[in-house]
Amino acid sequence: MPTLPILGLITFVPLAGAVLIAVLPSKEQNLIRRTALGTSLAAWVLSLLLLVTYSLGQAGFQFKEAADWIPSFGIQFKLGVDGLSVLMVVLTTTLSWISILASFGPIKVRVKEYMISFLVLEVGMIGVFVALDLFLFYIFWELVLVPMYLIIGIWGGANRIYATTKFVLYTLVGSLLMLVAILATAFTYQAANGSWAGAFDYEKLQAFAAAGSFGHNFQLLAFLALFLAFAIKVPMFPFHTWLPDAHTEAPTAGSVILAGVLLKLGAYGLIRFAVPLYPFAAHTFAGPIIVLSLIAIVYGAVVSIVQPDLKRLIAYSSVSHMGFVTLGIFVFTATALQGAILQMLSHGLITGGLFLLVGVVYERTHDRSIAKMGGLAATMPLWSTVFGFFILASIGLPGLSGFVGEFLVFVGSFAFAPVIAVSSIIVMVLAATYLLWMFQRVAFGAVSDFLTGLGDHLTDMSRVELLTLAPLAALIVLFGLFPSLILDFLSPVQTFLAAAGAAVGG
Amino acid sequence: MNWSDLGTLAPIVVAVLTAAAVLIVDMAAPGRRAPAIATALVGLTVVGLVVLSLAGHTETAFGGAYVVDALTAFLDLLFVAIAALTILFAADYLEPRGLPIAEFAAILIFAITGAMLIAGSADLLLLFVALELMVLPGYLLAGFARNDSYSTEGAIKYFLLGSFSSAILLFGLAYVWGLTGSTRVSDVAAALAVAAAKGSIAPGLAMGLAFMTAGVAFKMAAVPFHYWTPDAYQGSPTPVTAYLSVGPKVGAFAIALRLFVGALGPLKADWLPVVIVLAALTMTLGNLVAITQDNVKRMLAYSSIAHTGYILVGLAAYAGGQRSGISAILFYGAAYTFMNMGAFAVVTALQRRPGVTSQISTFAGLGRRDPWLGFLMALFLLSLTGIPPLAGFWAKAYVIVAAIQAGGWLTVLAVLAMLNAAAAAFYYLRVIVYMYMREPAETAQPLSPGILFRVGLAVTGIATLIFGFFPAILDVAGKAADVFKS
Repeated sequence: MPTLPILGLITFVPLAGAVLIAVLPSKEQNLIRRTALGTSLAAWVLSLLLLVTYSLGQAGFQFKEAADWIPSFGIQFKLGVDGLSVLMVVLTTTLSWISILASFGPIKVRVKEYMISFLVLEVGMIGVFVALDLFLFYIFWELVLVPMYLIIGIWGGANRIYATTKFVLYTLVGSLLMLVAILATAFTYQAANGSWAGAFDYEKLQAFAAAGSFGHNFQLLAFLALFLAFAIKVPMFPFHTWLPDAHTEAPTAGSVILAGVLLKLGAYGLIRFAVPLYPFAAHTFAGPIIVLSLIAIVYGAVVSIVQPDLKRLIAYSSVSHMGFVTLGIFVFTATALQGAILQMLSHGLITGGLFLLVGVVYERTHDRSIAKMGGLAATMPLWSTVFGFFILASIGLPGLSGFVGEFLVFVGSFAFAPVIAVSSIIVMVLAATYLLWMFQRVAFGAVSDFLTGLGDHLTDMSRVELLTLAPLAALIVLFGLFPSLILDFLSPVQTFLAAAGAAVGG
Repeated sequence: MNWSDLGTLAPIVVAVLTAAAVLIVDMAAPGRRAPAIATALVGLTVVGLVVLSLAGHTETAFGGAYVVDALTAFLDLLFVAIAALTILFAADYLEPRGLPIAEFAAILIFAITGAMLIAGSADLLLLFVALELMVLPGYLLAGFARNDSYSTEGAIKYFLLGSFSSAILLFGLAYVWGLTGSTRVSDVAAALAVAAAKGSIAPGLAMGLAFMTAGVAFKMAAVPFHYWTPDAYQGSPTPVTAYLSVGPKVGAFAIALRLFVGALGPLKADWLPVVIVLAALTMTLGNLVAITQDNVKRMLAYSSIAHTGYILVGLAAYAGGQRSGISAILFYGAAYTFMNMGAFAVVTALQRRPGVTSQISTFAGLGRRDPWLGFLMALFLLSLTGIPPLAGFWAKAYVIVAAIQAGGWLTVLAVLAMLNAAAAAFYYLRVIVYMYMREPAETAQPLSPGILFRVGLAVTGIATLIFGFFPAILDVAGKAADVFKS
């Protein structure tokens, strides 16, 4: 039966939309906006189709598509998904259409270029999650960089050029070293097998790695290069300094995608590539990485307390929350890994929502400083309610998705070393401190002079704005109450981590 | 020489005839651009077709001193493309400045003839003569804007240091001739293989090697032999800079291939460490200085030094035992030619009116002033940065694949090359920042590039994309590299 090349479709539908927009006249701003939304919705529907047709419990990759690309080096155009990538693809397509819808109002200049950048960005992000060829993965990885560079640099805030340059240079240093590591890995495979065939094929390389065929010294070097690239993207302490700048200066939708998807690219890379391909090195470096994760968790939380800017506060809280993800990956227990993946999804939904909400206020006040806010609960009651919900979710209120992820990481890391689990639990208290304190300053008390001065401009959320947030809120509740919906997808992941662990000989 | 030699030499002969025809046409219709440009372009097309008709088999002329093989064909086509593009880009620039396009085209084609002779040199003496034929017209071109003091200064520096380095190279060649008794590449290689088999090499040969390395490093502008480059590049009329940044550079690498790989191949273990050091210095220093430049022309000049460094990594990979280093050099040369000429072409377009500088502020708001020009410049700059899947990315990828395969110190060199590529992103992206994230100056006038210019820009843009999306062109470079099978 000739099957539908669904992965290729999901990946390239946004590209088709970008090409279509490129030929539309720039004046037709509304048509351009609708075309962009339409294509991103089409990709979303296709990804939902992927979600429901994916067979749970079947090991290995599904929906595989492969074609030769550069045969002389065995480079293929190979796509495929397992449970982890399916979830990530759906997260990406969901946040993409929401971001595009959320950009309708705020983006008024160069709409055409903006929408093209955004759709190309979507191609890159989806591509990263579905590529099963290391070289193809690298191409998509870099493809993400350019549109994000433009989105921050053109439509960003006052200090955008500094922020976007820093973002690109940090990411590029990591990714170019990753390229060296990928090429070296493929070459090692080629040298062992005498041919380039399959040298970049993830499945072949993983089997090769599981057989313990990569030398230990080689693994240490290659892992470090890959780890650096992914750690910068996550971002792990001490490679996180680009994040607050990029988040603060990016337009709202840019921040949503940065927090929601781009940070997950790093975590995904660690789970998919760095650990399974170089298990020996991953175990060797696990100790220091766990320490770095703990530092990130605590440091991100402590620094969040003193942030004067709403976006900066959420950015630093991302450093803290993503610390749980890297912690969950490197304690090497199935529970913690499941927690890490749940945390990735849930952080994408929650932080994406928080940035959207800050964007709503910024749209009306053109300011993000916490000190100037106050009493928004009186002027924008609906907004304050929704904001409160997302803040509680971010703190990790039981029953919402943030809790499940962090809880599973605690449980998983408790089995590994109780000290780690206990010290990271303390951070939940810190998170409650900085988030609730911020919420109190922004929403409660007397309406500040600054806000009073805005008068009628300070309207409550519009229906479109609510529409962008409702799906996120619904998913946060759904995953909070029924985490098994996600955990069911993760059985293959569990087996491959076990395989990675076994390769070291326990 | 006999008649069959003439057939083998046909590309060279046609090129010389083209240059002469351009001058004659100019005398017949003085001051008119169209006939001269048409003659030059048609002539170059014929040269290209003749090269293609000879491709596929190996022939020699002058009793073996000149050879037409896959490598010659590859390089010849590249040189023809360089000349044609330069002429397309130059027309709009020279006219407002009162500079004669016909003389320009004729001198340029003479230079390219020299470069094509280098590509086919199988004899050290012919190699030297061909080199001089390539660089002498280059000095003229650098000083082509006679009334511009910067142009004259750049030309004099280029001439003095160029002549000096030619002398050094010749001195080195003399040593090799003295110690091997032949100037024929194959005989030299055979004699050196015997010498290398004995273990240590004679002190005289080491001297010769040092002189030749210095001479070639001068020509390709490798650090620390690069001092002439920025002044010559900045002073020259911009289309000339575009030519100088690729023509003589690819020519210098053609020398490196014929001389170091062909003749001195047996001694590669001896020159490998030098090339590694040169490559490391060249890319690092080129990038570091490029970062500090505020003039785009000068920035591209220093970045071309950095790119020399990346290409040298390919040469080092060859010396480290990876023949794929050679095809990587060739692919890099081709990719670099198109993306770098494209970038210079955009600078040329901005400077069409006399008096416009190439300061980075000139680029402010280009994305809005002329969306296509802005888009293409962004494309070239991203390709030069090495962002996939553009031409420049594959060029870098192939070079470092070869280096990683060679292993050892070359892996370190590959890592260094990648760190350099990240640093280079800073200054390439800075131009994009100006183009897309700053408003155009109030006084900015509309740009109206001519039709020839648009054609040239389309060719470079499409090549940058095609090399990127269909990098199988490497296989052609691979066939050219097979010349050095033995």
